Amino acid sequence: MPHRALLELRNVTIKFGGLIAVNDLSFTVNEGEIVGLIGPNGAGKTTVFNLISGVYRPTKGEIYFNGENIVGLKPYQVCQKGIGRTFQLVKPFGNKTVLYNVMVGAFLHTNNTHVSREKALEVLKLVGLHHRKDMLAKNLTIVDRKKLEVAKALATEPKLLLLDEVLAGLNPAEVNEAIEVIKRIHRAGVTILLIEHVLKAAMALSQRVVVIDYGRKIAEGPPEEVTNNPEVIKAYLGERYGAARN
Amino acid sequence: MGLLSAVVNGILMGGIYGLLALGLTLIFGIMKIINFAHGAFLMVAMILSYWLWRIMGLDPYLSIVVIIPLMFVLGYLTQRYLIKPVLDAEKDVREPIGALLLTAGLSVAIENFVLMVFGADYLMAQTSYSGASINLSGLSISVPRLYAFIATLIVTVLFYQFLNKTELGRAMRATGQDRGVALLMGINVPKVYGIAFGIGTAIAGLTGIFLIPFYYAHPTVGEVFITKAFIIVVLGGLGSVPGALVGGLLIGLVESVAAQYMTATWTAILVYFAFLVFLLFRPSGLFGSRYEW
Amino acid sequence: MARLASPRYYLPVLLILLLFALPLFVKSPYYLHIMAMVLFWAYMATAWNIVGGFAGQLSLGHGAYVAAGAYTSSLLFAYLGISPWFGMFIGGLVAGLMGFLVGYPTLRLRGAYYALATVGFAEGFRVILTNTTHIGKWKTGGAEGFMIPLLGNAPQHMQFISKVPYYYLILVLFLILVLICRWIDGSKLGYYLTALREDEDAALALGINTARVKLVAATLSAFFAGVGGVFYAQLIRYLEPNAIAGPIMSNQIVFLAIVGGRGTVLGPALGGLVLTLIGEITRVVFNQIMGLHLFLYGLLVVLFVIFKPRGLIEFLEVLWNRLVNLLERREGKHAA
Repeated sequence: MPHRALLELRNVTIKFGGLIAVNDLSFTVNEGEIVGLIGPNGAGKTTVFNLISGVYRPTKGEIYFNGENIVGLKPYQVCQKGIGRTFQLVKPFGNKTVLYNVMVGAFLHTNNTHVSREKALEVLKLVGLHHRKDMLAKNLTIVDRKKLEVAKALATEPKLLLLDEVLAGLNPAEVNEAIEVIKRIHRAGVTILLIEHVLKAAMALSQRVVVIDYGRKIAEGPPEEVTNNPEVIKAYLGERYGAARN
Repeated sequence: MGLLSAVVNGILMGGIYGLLALGLTLIFGIMKIINFAHGAFLMVAMILSYWLWRIMGLDPYLSIVVIIPLMFVLGYLTQRYLIKPVLDAEKDVREPIGALLLTAGLSVAIENFVLMVFGADYLMAQTSYSGASINLSGLSISVPRLYAFIATLIVTVLFYQFLNKTELGRAMRATGQDRGVALLMGINVPKVYGIAFGIGTAIAGLTGIFLIPFYYAHPTVGEVFITKAFIIVVLGGLGSVPGALVGGLLIGLVESVAAQYMTATWTAILVYFAFLVFLLFRPSGLFGSRYEW
Repeated sequence: MARLASPRYYLPVLLILLLFALPLFVKSPYYLHIMAMVLFWAYMATAWNIVGGFAGQLSLGHGAYVAAGAYTSSLLFAYLGISPWFGMFIGGLVAGLMGFLVGYPTLRLRGAYYALATVGFAEGFRVILTNTTHIGKWKTGGAEGFMIPLLGNAPQHMQFISKVPYYYLILVLFLILVLICRWIDGSKLGYYLTALREDEDAALALGINTARVKLVAATLSAFFAGVGGVFYAQLIRYLEPNAIAGPIMSNQIVFLAIVGGRGTVLGPALGGLVLTLIGEITRVVFNQIMGLHLFLYGLLVVLFVIFKPRGLIEFLEVLWNRLVNLLERREGKHAA
């Protein structure tokens, strides 16, 4: 199986004032993979997403997508290149219907309202939100809001999807449901990089995980290998893995 | 008018601008609301002060005792019954502008109410000291302007002390910094907002009272001043107390000194241009860091 | 034809026909003038709504664009003999350009800061207008204002003795603008403007070039405000900087849109119709109490912001749906 790097971070560093939030971070995501980005609270996971999606510009280092350096591109340009993202605090357009929300994303590749609607309906079926299409986004339950957040990003037809804690705040049944949705998206040919705090779910989903702590990569590899890495256990799992397993 | 005289008069008038801007910046610093009705409140105080003088012969400076508490209550009630419901309703809106719109509507309503009741006449309290001036070796200083300037300095100092030294002042600053944290600290945020709006309105009133012995009041007089106050708070940094005073002095000086060298139009255009440049490139104002509320 | 049988289609058509038929019943120039002004304000509020409602950027300086359009066409007409029919486009383009030039540097400003910038810009422009008496050899009048030369009945120069043509002109302009807004609302641009208004960061993440969308909205809105300014100039034939470029004009436009319901296609127009009518009625009934109608406008804005932030359009929607349902049910019975 050819391992073509879709996303590659090379020695990425960002400083806010004197604080180094991400430090010399390098990793790759290959086409067709699901990669988990994990680490304790405040490790800099969301900052990494903001760097990839162009919200922040790295102080040092390069980010390659499809072989092209995307550092310096604006967030909308990054999206146009084929990287979709969700936000940890979901950002629905609350006063509009679910369908309307997803159509906003679907307009990226068309100017035609009908085409956009068809695309949006297709995406809504994929994430299992079709039956809620006419509901106002602000009236959705948490799990449906998360699905909507994913659907909006998916409607832009990304090659790579960045998922920021989509499982957080869901009950176990909802987590399983959401995992199925993510797997379905993956089967549809989308490469996925996900941040997850629910460790068990991250391990179940990811083929490979990258562990960061204090903005630095401390381990990388298949989930079962990483969980046995002493440094990871020390930084992260040592205190919380037991709790997460229960 | 010589240059020195222009400088002195500019500073005196600038102090008055600064006083008005102080009220505006206080309300913004604590509530994050641009009060478009600030000029209308100034006008109300001018008209009230004029009529108290006209009918009862009350000296405008003495009318402070009556009008300032009145203005405070007016501000407090405005916040409690008009602004608060809008702020509550817009809690989750990312960029709430309901309160701004409300004060703009309120401003027009107040101005035209006064127009209906008192008419569009130009009114000024012609007191014994209205035209008086002190003569310092050829330099003539208008007495009512001097009083107004001194009052500005006193109020600014008192206000600064109030914010830093009193319990209430500290609560107000905490609220301005972070409403959520202030709530957690047990601060009664709605009350703080009411008091902040009340004090801001009272300061607008005080400015009006100090203006009436030498400046004509009419229903839209507030518009002249509020645009200047907007400019000043942006120059000085929205929310900055010292910025309001310094910004006021600066505008007063520019208006007065530049008038020696160019037409009033160009002065005004220069000021607006500077205003836009600051708004666009340095919204934190001239002095960089804001006053930490 | 089946479509036309539905009240959803024939009611608006009837309403538009009624608007066109009104001059058949109203003959008084005074009332025709008022009707034209009512439509003018509905038009202005609708134009403002493109940037103030759809894009959610609170512009408090639209008077500057109205003035830019009005002065451009009037000066070109007075000194170069260019017909206002043509001047309408030039005036609109000049205003649109101004909207673009104001929009570009203010892209980064949000909420209150944007509002303040528009106030500062419009005030600066008003000061320039007030104090400029000549542009080269052209007399602009400064604070005294500018009179547009009267040619009598000259349709080729947009001047008519009768008020009826003015009424039809603004009616057509208004309908065109409403159709454009309706189209925007249902198109990609409308979706993008909504996204921008509700959450700019989310919009960016969906690949929307929010800066460009904002600029398009600001330019379109200013263009139509400028075109409206040309109509105003031809109807009133007198331009006074403080009245046309000042806060009274700017605020009034915003107030109509707020009370009507900003961000909707028809809300601002509804606000324009209702408030201007209220204003005119109070003017007739309370015979020249200065300030009364603006007092009412201000008061209504305060009340609507507090109690009905979505505006009058909410009532109209309820009423409309009831009416449509009623008619549909009656037709159902007939069919049975």
